[in-house]
Amino acid sequence: MSEIMIENVTKRFGNFTAVDNVSLTVANQEFMVLLGPSGCGKTTLLRAIAGLGMPDDGRISIGGHDVTYLAPRDRHISMVFQSYAIFPHMDVFDNIAFGLKMQKMGKAEIQERVKQAAEMMHIEQMLDRFPSKMSGGQRQRVAVARAIAMQAQVLLMDEPLSNLDALLRLEMRAELKRLLAELGATTIYVTHDQIEAMSMGDRIAVMRAGIIEQVSSPTTIYDFPANQFIGGFIGTPPMNFLHGQMQRQNGHSVVRIGEFDLTPQPLMQPLLASYDGKPIVVGIRAENMETLSSPAEGALRASVLVVEPLGSQNLLTVKLGDSQMKVSTHPDFTTQPDADVWLRFPADKIRWIDPDTKRALYPNA
Amino acid sequence: MTSSAAPSQSIAQVSPEMARLRARARRRLLLGRAFIYLAAILLSLWVLAPLWFIASMALTTPAEVRSYPKGVLPFIPFSFETMRFFLQSRGIIPGLINSIVVAVITLALSTLIAAPAGYAISRYRYRGRDAYRLSILAVRAFPVVILAIPLAVIFISVGIFDQVYSLALMHTALTLPTTVLVIGSVFASIPYELEEAAKVFGCTPVQAFRRVVLPLVLPGIAAAAIFTFVMSWNEVFAAVVLTVQNRTLPAQVLVSLQQSPEPYKFAGAFFLLLPSVIFIFIIRKYLFNMWGQISK
Amino acid sequence: MTTQVAASPKPRRPQRQWAPYLLILPSLIYLAIFFAWPMVRAVRLAVWNETALLTLREEASADSSPAGALPQGAQVILLDRQSNLAADGGSLRTGALTETWYRVQGNDPDGNAVDGWASESRIRVRRTDEQGAPTGGTVRPRIGASADPLTSIFAEPNERSQVVGRLAASAGVQIPEQAILEVWFLIQGEDGAETVAGWAPSGNLQIYSSGEIGRIDQGDTGQFTMAYIQRMVNDRFFKPAMITTFLLMVLIIPVQFVLAIIMALIIQSQIRFNTWFLAVFAIPLAASDLAVGIVWYSIFTQGGYLNSILQTLGLIQFPQPYLTADTRYWIIIAIWLAEVWRATAIVMVIVVSGLQAISQEVLEAGEVFGAGLWDRLRHIILPLLKPSLQVALILRTILALQVFAVVIALSGGDVVTVLANETYRQYYTLRNMNVAAAYSVLILLISMVSAIIYLRMVRSNEEAAA
Repeated sequence: MSEIMIENVTKRFGNFTAVDNVSLTVANQEFMVLLGPSGCGKTTLLRAIAGLGMPDDGRISIGGHDVTYLAPRDRHISMVFQSYAIFPHMDVFDNIAFGLKMQKMGKAEIQERVKQAAEMMHIEQMLDRFPSKMSGGQRQRVAVARAIAMQAQVLLMDEPLSNLDALLRLEMRAELKRLLAELGATTIYVTHDQIEAMSMGDRIAVMRAGIIEQVSSPTTIYDFPANQFIGGFIGTPPMNFLHGQMQRQNGHSVVRIGEFDLTPQPLMQPLLASYDGKPIVVGIRAENMETLSSPAEGALRASVLVVEPLGSQNLLTVKLGDSQMKVSTHPDFTTQPDADVWLRFPADKIRWIDPDTKRALYPNA
Repeated sequence: MTSSAAPSQSIAQVSPEMARLRARARRRLLLGRAFIYLAAILLSLWVLAPLWFIASMALTTPAEVRSYPKGVLPFIPFSFETMRFFLQSRGIIPGLINSIVVAVITLALSTLIAAPAGYAISRYRYRGRDAYRLSILAVRAFPVVILAIPLAVIFISVGIFDQVYSLALMHTALTLPTTVLVIGSVFASIPYELEEAAKVFGCTPVQAFRRVVLPLVLPGIAAAAIFTFVMSWNEVFAAVVLTVQNRTLPAQVLVSLQQSPEPYKFAGAFFLLLPSVIFIFIIRKYLFNMWGQISK
Repeated sequence: MTTQVAASPKPRRPQRQWAPYLLILPSLIYLAIFFAWPMVRAVRLAVWNETALLTLREEASADSSPAGALPQGAQVILLDRQSNLAADGGSLRTGALTETWYRVQGNDPDGNAVDGWASESRIRVRRTDEQGAPTGGTVRPRIGASADPLTSIFAEPNERSQVVGRLAASAGVQIPEQAILEVWFLIQGEDGAETVAGWAPSGNLQIYSSGEIGRIDQGDTGQFTMAYIQRMVNDRFFKPAMITTFLLMVLIIPVQFVLAIIMALIIQSQIRFNTWFLAVFAIPLAASDLAVGIVWYSIFTQGGYLNSILQTLGLIQFPQPYLTADTRYWIIIAIWLAEVWRATAIVMVIVVSGLQAISQEVLEAGEVFGAGLWDRLRHIILPLLKPSLQVALILRTILALQVFAVVIALSGGDVVTVLANETYRQYYTLRNMNVAAAYSVLILLISMVSAIIYLRMVRSNEEAAA
């Protein structure tokens, strides 16, 4: 069992609070992704878990043992670094064997473990090579092999794919996912790349400014962002936000956006009742709108500013009232700048956000 | 639907075991820091104490210099008398002037010859570039001073022996390799793209150099020049071999050392140390350009 | 391990490729003149005796054909003597015997005007011009009854030339001109089994007081010789200088490296004020070695700081002598401390720039994968510093050969001596350029061996970096 529990951890650098009273539990064998823009504290949190920087406050335990103040080597963890941190003066074998040697493991067993790890990463042909003669992708493989050779219960990864080129990244992403599922170690994976996070994680913890904003499965985070920041951060293009005003019409809450009215689904009604006469933010994803080339019932007119044919979709930038939004359409949908399109907002795809707290409103929260 | 994060059921209750661990870790961290500071301070003392001693000897009365046991507290009484005694000794003021003249000629000559070479090794790729760099490194590592002996013979036969400027020629040979390498690294730290950008925006190559590169490298080159000055100021072997009448300051101090009283020696050492210590503080930003180079 | 920023030099257009050569040319010329040439000269001075053989001439003139040669130092018998007008007035050898002849104008006892040459031994100069050149005088009287009362005046400044007249003793003369003659000797000596005879200029000979025998002082032809190197090796200071030089190397370098690594680790540990600590540690980098020698002299001299402190603490009753011939080991210790103090800074700077090239993540990886402080130092930091340390090592080795002023300041240069000191002593005190040059060559040779290793290392480093 190696559940990781982070309780109220705070880490400051001078006056700057990098991690602010963060709590997070990662279940045994879970793949947890820490996602956030650069400077959000995700790497600082990972380093605190690794023992590479003592937290100022709070407690970290691994498998029920408090490790907050233990040295990294006493935590039984393993790690892949952003720059790989391959020892440049050792060949691949010695790199992979380093941690095992430090544990004073027997020669034969080291040999066995290194071989096994190298085979898993398909670098068994390069064991006597030096890192200076290897490509970035190969070094990355060595870094991962070194981490898995430890057979630690906890594997920490700090943006391991960020230094690879796009194609290689795609390939390694899938390979890492398969490998980590096979290993069954509790994994914390730091990245700023939301696609990586979405594609790999069992759960994603979205961080911003030292705080965890939401911890959920990838689909939940995508479909039900906890706040405006997450909606805007996750997804390409990000969620559209429209500013509107709640009104009561015929006993219903209706939001007025410019000259248009939108009626929330019944489920939301009780929640939105308190916003009558107040401003509200409406969020909707580009692909969740229905785009029509002619006026229709309940469809809002928007004028096209930019058309970007992307192959699998056409991405439109449209002007709706005073706001711009991105709309994704079927590639066969033809339009042109300055033309008008009509957008239909499915009520169940609309997210409601409190403009003051920026929090998303959900009926059962 | 999970929205917010915190499973804040237990606001980190501080168990006694954890408190103990934490205290121990903090203590170890603190101890480590303290140890580093202690080492840093001890090593600083090791460097500074001898300077402290010589300064306090130089800035007091000659009588105090001769007294025994000496107090560790310095400057009691504070007086320029020892310094005055030294500076008024025979050959010191002319030596000082010679030293400055030699160092200035060396600085000028060395910078003038080294700057184009430094530019060449950092900006061009050409056949023989590595060979050139390696030979510069080799000369740099050589005990060039020892060549003062054959140079003395040459200078005598050419008739320029015992001249301030002929010593400057020797010192230039001594400092040239270092200056080339340092100026090379200074140029290398200015991206070539800047020059290209200047050309794209309408400069001729010479203008590009003068308006864009020169202002950027000037501080680095000035640091190199200052260092050249210090090397020449300190050099004593060649100075004592190549001059007889026109001694530089260190040469003058060296040849009169055995016949001189202690106040003269101490004041001389202090006076020799003073400019170099000041210079090192001025150019400390460039120290690594200067010496890190050698490990390349 | 790059301190030089990448900014890879871009190839310029091919037609401009002469530019870099033009730019490096002045430095190459300069180093050829002031480094390569003196080095060749040093070797030549050390193994080439410029004056090994003296060529003897058929006649008493440098232009006449050679009649054989005698080695420097050969004993010779003087057979004859002749004075000749020196080839060109100025180029007389130092030590050459000369005669001065005056052109005199006067009247003989019969009243006839006489204009000719007389040796300086016959004329007493009475008047000189502002430059000190004689303008007038009188004929010296001859002493002794049998002497000829008249003095012969010759057509040329040569006793074999025609006599143009004779002047009486004490006759006044004008001296419009003078000539300096070089004395040549007809000598005979042994070269191996052979007897050689011929004329040689007096400047190359040393004449013994009898005036009949002498020896060849300087030849005029060079020859390879081991004599200077032998003299260097047989010099009583040679062995102590060698031993001390290497002893100091062995004592200084390890301590320096340990200190420098500790300093570098402190600088790299990112403590507060570390730029200040760095500047303080770097101070000795710019310190004059002579000054540093004196600084440590102020500590170790009998009335110095060491004794002052010990006495104040009550550890000694009387000031102890340290820098004396009887306490040689104290001098060595003082030199050792002074050199460690002075030259650790450069090693520190090299190590710091080596450390800066080690990525922080690599060190953290070591930590995560279970290496403690000591393991990290041993398995990661030191191996990664190896290239820097090797370079520093070679540099220090070569610099250690130049230790000079510190030794002079602390030992006066005799009691404890090193190779550079001996070079100086041979040159300055003993005025022996050749032996001094032999020492220079020895130091250069030791350095060159180090430099070759050094170049190899740089090359292999560059290969590894490629």
